[in-house]
Amino acid sequence: MKDISEMNFPENLRYSKDHEWTVMEGDTVKIGISDYAQAKLGDIVFVELPEVGDRFSKSDEFGTVESVKAVSSLYMPLGGEIVAVNDALEDTPEAINESCYDKGWIITVKPNDAAELNGLMTSADYLKQLKED
Amino acid sequence: MSKLQQTPFYERHHRLGAEMVDFGGWDMPLNYKKGIVYEHLATRRKAGLFDVSHMGRFVIRGKNALSFLQHVLTNNAAALEPGESQYTIIANQQGGAIDDAYLYRFFSDQYLLVVNAANRQADWDHFNSELAAFDAVELTDETFNLAMLSLQGPNAKEILEKLIAKKELPEPKRNDLSIAAFDGVQVLIGRTGYTGEPLCFELFSQKEAALSIWDKLVEAGAVPAGLGARDTLRLEAGLPLYGHELGPDPADETGVHIPIFASGLAKFAASFSPLKGNFIGRAALLKQFGAYQKIVARNFEAMADLPRMIMPVAISGKGLARQGHRIWHQNRLVGHVTSGTMVPCWQYDGVGIDSVLSDTKSRRAICLALIDSHLYPGDALEIEIRKKRVSGVVVPYHLRSEAPPAARPIAWDQIRANRTMPASAPPETKIERLLSETIANSHWRRFECINLIPSEQTPSPMAKLLSVMDPAGRYAEHKPVAAFGEAEVFYYQGTEFIAQVEALLQAEISKFLGCRQAEVRPTSGQLANTAVFSALVDFRNRADRKNEQGRIASVMNHHIIKGGHLSAQPMGALRDFVARNPQTEKPALVNFPVLVENPYQIDVTACGELIERFKPELIIFGKSMTLHKEPVAAIAAMVAQQKLDCVIMYDMAHVLGLAGPYFQEPFAEGADIVTASTHKTFFGTQRGIIAADMDEESPDFELWQAVMRRSFPGSVSNHHLGTLIGLLMAAYEMNHFKKAYQKNVLANAKTLAKALKECGLDVAGDASLNFTETHQVIVEVGYAKGPAVAKRLEQNNIIVNYQATPHEEGFTAAGALRLGVAEMTRFGMGPTDFKALAQLMADVILKDMDVKAEIKALRKKFDEIQYCFSGSEFDELINKLHHLI
Repeated sequence: MKDISEMNFPENLRYSKDHEWTVMEGDTVKIGISDYAQAKLGDIVFVELPEVGDRFSKSDEFGTVESVKAVSSLYMPLGGEIVAVNDALEDTPEAINESCYDKGWIITVKPNDAAELNGLMTSADYLKQLKED
Repeated sequence: MSKLQQTPFYERHHRLGAEMVDFGGWDMPLNYKKGIVYEHLATRRKAGLFDVSHMGRFVIRGKNALSFLQHVLTNNAAALEPGESQYTIIANQQGGAIDDAYLYRFFSDQYLLVVNAANRQADWDHFNSELAAFDAVELTDETFNLAMLSLQGPNAKEILEKLIAKKELPEPKRNDLSIAAFDGVQVLIGRTGYTGEPLCFELFSQKEAALSIWDKLVEAGAVPAGLGARDTLRLEAGLPLYGHELGPDPADETGVHIPIFASGLAKFAASFSPLKGNFIGRAALLKQFGAYQKIVARNFEAMADLPRMIMPVAISGKGLARQGHRIWHQNRLVGHVTSGTMVPCWQYDGVGIDSVLSDTKSRRAICLALIDSHLYPGDALEIEIRKKRVSGVVVPYHLRSEAPPAARPIAWDQIRANRTMPASAPPETKIERLLSETIANSHWRRFECINLIPSEQTPSPMAKLLSVMDPAGRYAEHKPVAAFGEAEVFYYQGTEFIAQVEALLQAEISKFLGCRQAEVRPTSGQLANTAVFSALVDFRNRADRKNEQGRIASVMNHHIIKGGHLSAQPMGALRDFVARNPQTEKPALVNFPVLVENPYQIDVTACGELIERFKPELIIFGKSMTLHKEPVAAIAAMVAQQKLDCVIMYDMAHVLGLAGPYFQEPFAEGADIVTASTHKTFFGTQRGIIAADMDEESPDFELWQAVMRRSFPGSVSNHHLGTLIGLLMAAYEMNHFKKAYQKNVLANAKTLAKALKECGLDVAGDASLNFTETHQVIVEVGYAKGPAVAKRLEQNNIIVNYQATPHEEGFTAAGALRLGVAEMTRFGMGPTDFKALAQLMADVILKDMDVKAEIKALRKKFDEIQYCFSGSEFDELINKLHHLI
């Protein structure tokens, strides 16, 4: 796995302790997994996505990301309703490895309570946490 | 925390930035920087290089080494000759696996056993406790002295040949071994592997040379691959992994082992030969084997002894099955997944042998599962993946390895490639189309192509015409009846004419070969062989017709890789007539050894020892890919000197037309029986013959009588009377024109061979003989390039066939073209013409030029068949024949 110093954590995103990133887009929140998460997983070969319209609370499992060797659960960094899922991941799950913050986005959520975003980490805090682990 | 073991390649893994993992106590690379998917695909497309030095390596020596191995392993170690290896299992008394392993016999006085890393200690302890009952057995653990690498994939051979001389590599056969040298260090090489790739090599060397070998292999293009890809590759190949398909069943808390026969490989790994004797687990395994045999016959009464089996399952729905997932069939729980994940694969464009690798990748979710034994490929299943039921289907395999150079992934919906039935059409269209297309094909082949397939010939117009005349389509069954003084009795009326034709034909064949007996009823060369093999079985059992008729106990033949006839292989006519060798548990065949410097020629000296050891009852000379005379006289002398009761047979399928002073006179040289096709170098029609030169008063004549009986009624009932008449004409032509024809065929073959060489092509054979002593020429075009080159030549109206040489694993990897000059010689082509042809062929092969027009022009000069009776005095009779059709 590449060294943490070679990883990228854009400053405009907020990160969860489960290695997801979030970004506000109008009144919805886009979610994916961080460069650390995709590097740790290795080649991603399958993504299990929720349906548009599904509702979840914060910390609920909303899907999985699978590599050759392991299954990794995805947890809601905040509660809300699924308004979009990245269907392209069905044919090209490797988009998460290649472009985890852009083409590899996973879901878009209409949050129940946007304030839940404040509990998430900044890029600097996330990096600090990674180094401590 | 105990420190992890490191292999000799540890530093290389680190330098390459490998993701390391603890595997059985060893610090091993899971994958390198580009990841598992990349490494899997690189192995299937190019060649993967795996450090497998973590596996256990035990050496067993001593007077009782073999007895010990027979006791602790399931395979029949006595069947292993030096230079051979075998998959085996270390069983427990209950018929479960303590480990699976590979047994190598590189040297005559010791065995090397490779075991799984995780079980090395357990295997060692088990062996040592069993050793207590044996003396004179030395067991040493060489794991830390020997490094081991695995090189697998379509480019593996090309890469390895950059380090090791071609002649030091093992034969292109799975499980074959060789001892090579690299930089002065001994390297042991096996054609073995765990990926399903047909081009597979495992290398053993002392640690000191190991790094150098690694570096050179990587430099030559091998792609380092880790344990992650090793697992996805073996899964795709359907190979078992201890802890998943073998050993304790993780889904069963009682610690019960998965029965060994649940795995398809068990029938190869386990031997119940009485020569092997008793071994740990024999009774339990025999019971499992009994259940297995019944299950294969779809009889499930013994299913309790083998309730579940490992089967490949493909996921047809959306999801990824993994070890432990439960499996349902028609709402019943039938088992669980033993191994599963998503594997990547390359897509192939095109169909069949023309299919080529594309740059497109895809992926598929596949698994192996331990499921109820009554399930069968095609059965629909549901796999429970984290509370969701996903559809799957039992498949016969995920991957096939029989079409080298590469393994081929087979998706669940591609088991049978699409076959489009020809579109239906109204009768007038169909009839007209059939007639016109036959005309077009005949015209193309007869007037526009240069036909160089060595097994083909064109019969003369007279021979062709006679073949469709009465009594074509009728019957003339006959046999000699002792009550009538061995007079031939014909069962039907209207047979006087054909009886005469047949007698005349026998006389012409006898005259041609200089022998006393000729059987002309077989309708092909392979049927002639079938009749002879059947006659040999009949003859050897003539004293006892009550008991099971014993098959031929030992046969010496040419292996198909070396050009032996299909007919003489266990896959051909010989199959049901040759006994099993109880030691090897395979058909009792010994192949002619060949010269190292010329694999197209028999090593006569080495034959003596083999004949003495294996005491063949039947020796079959004759080849499909043939450049040399057969050493009949030399071998006949050895047989006589050893006073063996052996029948020497010469299958002259290809070379019958050359029989004589310019090639070989089989009976003068010591052959007992000759079989042949009548349509290759002989002038056709397409039939078979059997000939012998026996004294009618001798006891051996009973064999000839058996040959006649096994020809009719043994292998024919109707014996194609039309082509019988045609063959008589051909035999007249042969006897009349053979001198000039034979000389010209042999001279033209040498001329063509030499000319092709001078044009820059690689011609096989002995240059000092001008490459050939027969009608054939072999041109080497590069490993696996044969089919594509043959196709290009056909597009240029030059018809040859792609041919596997002794260097290739099988016909899909054919590296040569096989040519024959007999047909074009018959049309009058001479040395100058063959030289011109050679240049045109080189233009196609080496420069990819289009020479179709030149070939058509060349053929135009030779459109009249020679060496036949064609004077105007026959015109009126020929016309009458035409009218009678």
